[in-house]
Amino acid sequence: MRELIEHTEGINRLMARFGVKFGIYKNGEFHEQLFPFDAIPRVISREEFQKLEKGLIQRVDALNLFLNDIYGEKKIIKDQVVPEEFVFSSSGYLPECEGIKPPKGIYSHISGIDLVLGKDGKWYILEDNLRIPSGASYPMIAREICRRVSPSTFSSNPVVDNRNYAAMLKETMDWVNVGGIPVIMTPGRYNAAYFEHSYLAERTGSELATCSDLFVEDNQLFYRDYRDKKQKVGVIYRRISDEYLDPMTFLPESLIGIPNLMDVYRSGNVAIVNAPGNGVADDKGIYYFVPKMIRYYLDQEPILHNAPTYLPFYEEDRKYVLENLEKLVIKDVAEAGGYGVIFGSGLGKEKLSELRALIQKESRRFIAQEVIDFQDMEVCEGIDRVWRKADLRAFVLSGQTTRVWPSGLTRFSRNADSFVVNSSQGGGFKDTWVLSR
Amino acid sequence: MLPGRSFVIARHRQRSMRTLKFTYRMELRFSSPVSRHYFALRCIPKDSPRQKIHLTRREVEPAEYLDELEDGFQNLKLTGGCLAPHSFFRFHVEGTAEVEGMGFQEEPLHPMYRYPSRYTAFEPEVAEFAERAMERCREAKAEKILEKAVCVMDYLHANFAYVPGITNIGTTAAEALRMGKGVCQDYAHIMTAVMRYMGIPARYVNGLMIGEGFTHAWVEVYTEKGWYGLDPTNRLHIDDYYIVLAKGRDYGDCPVDKGCFFGNAAQQQNIYVNVEEMEHDRDRGINGTAGG
Amino acid sequence: MGIISIEKVDHLYWLGRYTERVYTTIRIFFHIYDKMIEQPEGIYAKYCERLNIPNIYTSNKQFVRSYLFGEENPDSVVSNMKRAYDNAVVLRDELSSNVLSYVQLALNTLESCGKTTAPLLELQQAVDYLLAFWGCADDYVEQEDCRNILKCGKYVERLDLCIRLDYHRKDLEKEYQKLINRLKKTSLCYNEENLNRLREIIFQEDGEKIHDQEALCCLGGLLS
Repeated sequence: MRELIEHTEGINRLMARFGVKFGIYKNGEFHEQLFPFDAIPRVISREEFQKLEKGLIQRVDALNLFLNDIYGEKKIIKDQVVPEEFVFSSSGYLPECEGIKPPKGIYSHISGIDLVLGKDGKWYILEDNLRIPSGASYPMIAREICRRVSPSTFSSNPVVDNRNYAAMLKETMDWVNVGGIPVIMTPGRYNAAYFEHSYLAERTGSELATCSDLFVEDNQLFYRDYRDKKQKVGVIYRRISDEYLDPMTFLPESLIGIPNLMDVYRSGNVAIVNAPGNGVADDKGIYYFVPKMIRYYLDQEPILHNAPTYLPFYEEDRKYVLENLEKLVIKDVAEAGGYGVIFGSGLGKEKLSELRALIQKESRRFIAQEVIDFQDMEVCEGIDRVWRKADLRAFVLSGQTTRVWPSGLTRFSRNADSFVVNSSQGGGFKDTWVLSR
Repeated sequence: MLPGRSFVIARHRQRSMRTLKFTYRMELRFSSPVSRHYFALRCIPKDSPRQKIHLTRREVEPAEYLDELEDGFQNLKLTGGCLAPHSFFRFHVEGTAEVEGMGFQEEPLHPMYRYPSRYTAFEPEVAEFAERAMERCREAKAEKILEKAVCVMDYLHANFAYVPGITNIGTTAAEALRMGKGVCQDYAHIMTAVMRYMGIPARYVNGLMIGEGFTHAWVEVYTEKGWYGLDPTNRLHIDDYYIVLAKGRDYGDCPVDKGCFFGNAAQQQNIYVNVEEMEHDRDRGINGTAGG
Repeated sequence: MGIISIEKVDHLYWLGRYTERVYTTIRIFFHIYDKMIEQPEGIYAKYCERLNIPNIYTSNKQFVRSYLFGEENPDSVVSNMKRAYDNAVVLRDELSSNVLSYVQLALNTLESCGKTTAPLLELQQAVDYLLAFWGCADDYVEQEDCRNILKCGKYVERLDLCIRLDYHRKDLEKEYQKLINRLKKTSLCYNEENLNRLREIIFQEDGEKIHDQEALCCLGGLLS
């Protein structure tokens, strides 16, 4: 492994060659940034991965059942396991999706589950991403490059090959395809994850399309060819958010999107990956209920733990939160991407009482969590090694069966005192090794 | 859109059923040809226990394709498109509706109708108005859901002015309250918001009302016995003079017609709506314009 | 799969044009750079005039910097390389990451060699990457149609530059032939009239200087 680490610079140079970047907007201007790669991998043992795998499959299966239920019979509401308020007043709930049966009954085809490893050696789930989780392409191409740079590292370590992500994704897309070509739809090259969109299109053999390449006719979706021929689309892996999908159903002022796409989808004439409306299940407020969902739908005990979470919505929890605010993390359920996260310990007296008042007034808006003391990871900085906070995004693919990609995206924070590992706020990534023995 | 027919309050409320003949015509003219035109129409009334529909005409042109679907709110929706250049678009729907009089529609409650939506958010104006309406309910000793709803309808009717041209299709309940005046859509949004604020599920209804004019909007509240319709613009209970087209949390969920197209053209829209009673002579004289 | 969207056709064509523009102008630049050693200040003026780009330059030295590396100068080599990249980056799935990487490398090289004192050493590297791009495109762009459209762009640009820079008639005939070969293999819509007129101008027998402006016009309106 030393050899690999010595070549960090060379690896990053190769990444630059292949355009491994993400875009960010600074002062309204688009910039492409390299996503810094740290060569020290996260290593997950075989046993550990097997446990993670079981727990993740269990969780994602329950979440898919939940989505089926919410847009269908709503049994979990009627049985009062989840208070309806958390579902139907969530901005992620889309009544426009009521009554739609997605092909093969799958809502979340690609789930990105964020975890951290606590100092107690246990994995904790931080959040579920069931809309358009990104990031799998980075460890995929990093592995490709690392193997070139230091073959001996991989011949002497039993690392499961993770370059099968594209094949897994393709199988998932094929499974729900209703007949027609596969398409990956991107909002365009000025999107933060454009590299990933184009790379996955190349690797899965899908057409990379922007909105203007796609259109609806005869209640079917088509891809437009320059010779004035058209190809029916059977599955669309869209990398734009729900509200921009179809201006006739969602935001009417949206200039992107495909008019009447939702009708094509409702009629069963195209599969949309991931299904619209998934936001209701990865809402920070719903997170609290996922262990209950696992018990309710699968009649199993959850294998993976949530971070200890309190809902000020419940009186008992509210009391605890108000009394212990200075040691908790408060999250605004409406915000995403590392925003709207407040550490009680970082607030002065005045700010604390302001927050208390806000929590009392809008209790449904917040969740509170114990600060998990999670294990830092070693990161190279020049010739030094430093310790940084890091998380793991595991990718779970639901097709004919539910499978966990034997790798994941390990992100680390840029600064020593930062808990935020989101790439849009700086920071880099590592490869994630799953050992085969 | 003129204010409604208050004299009709005196009409026979006990009649159990009426047959109405309805016509809905819409024509759009574009100053220059447009293309890739997609539309979604909720202009066809659907069969339900309160109304039996017999369609005699259903024309949409130009339409390269046309499909009939049920949307997420169980409304009947015509979806279609015309990709080739064209300089007009029209549809024409005609038929008869056998409509039941006032009554409750038994139906399980969808919980979404309890919570504020885009047009009916509990903004300060809504909260303030709702508090005053609740005060009014207490004074009037309105306890049952329907009693409260009627009380709110009366209060709204008395404290909001029917003035067209002030608000538009994007106006929220709070904005309309701030201005103190508006049309049927605003009445319906305010009442929907207030009912939900009071903890009573409510929904927005688009439809047709006897007389020539435009489409109309009103409210349904969920009572112990099911959904019940009230028309706050005209201070009327929904009876067999009304035909339901579509329902939703607010206007945004169930517009009668919605379209988008490519092309830089000015559009001119003409709408003709007529609802009249068949066979019986009794109420034929009524031709007041439906409140909008 | 054999399907290419209209937008991608456009990007392929312009990728062909811009990569060719960068490649040929760098090669020509090598000559000018060499001449500048003995010749007086301002010899770039004629070059600008021929290429029909505004002469915004103040000295030989400033011309070298600005024309090669001026990021703010829309006619600079690096600006054209950026446009090539902008067209390439949206074509990863058609080109493959492998082919795309040479465009990225050429751009990275041009961007970084603006900072060195002997830029021409590095420029050679950029030229090498562009040649590698073409070689790699021949081998790894799977769809024949894509390759043909890309090359149409390349030969249109080549012909355009050859006409502007007064190349010998025989060269024009050769490049014209290359363009025709590719064009006929695609399903691109082109202006038949323009093509015929272009042919007449290039193959005219009277030995006169060809009608530059008209030829450029025909070429410009060939595909649009």
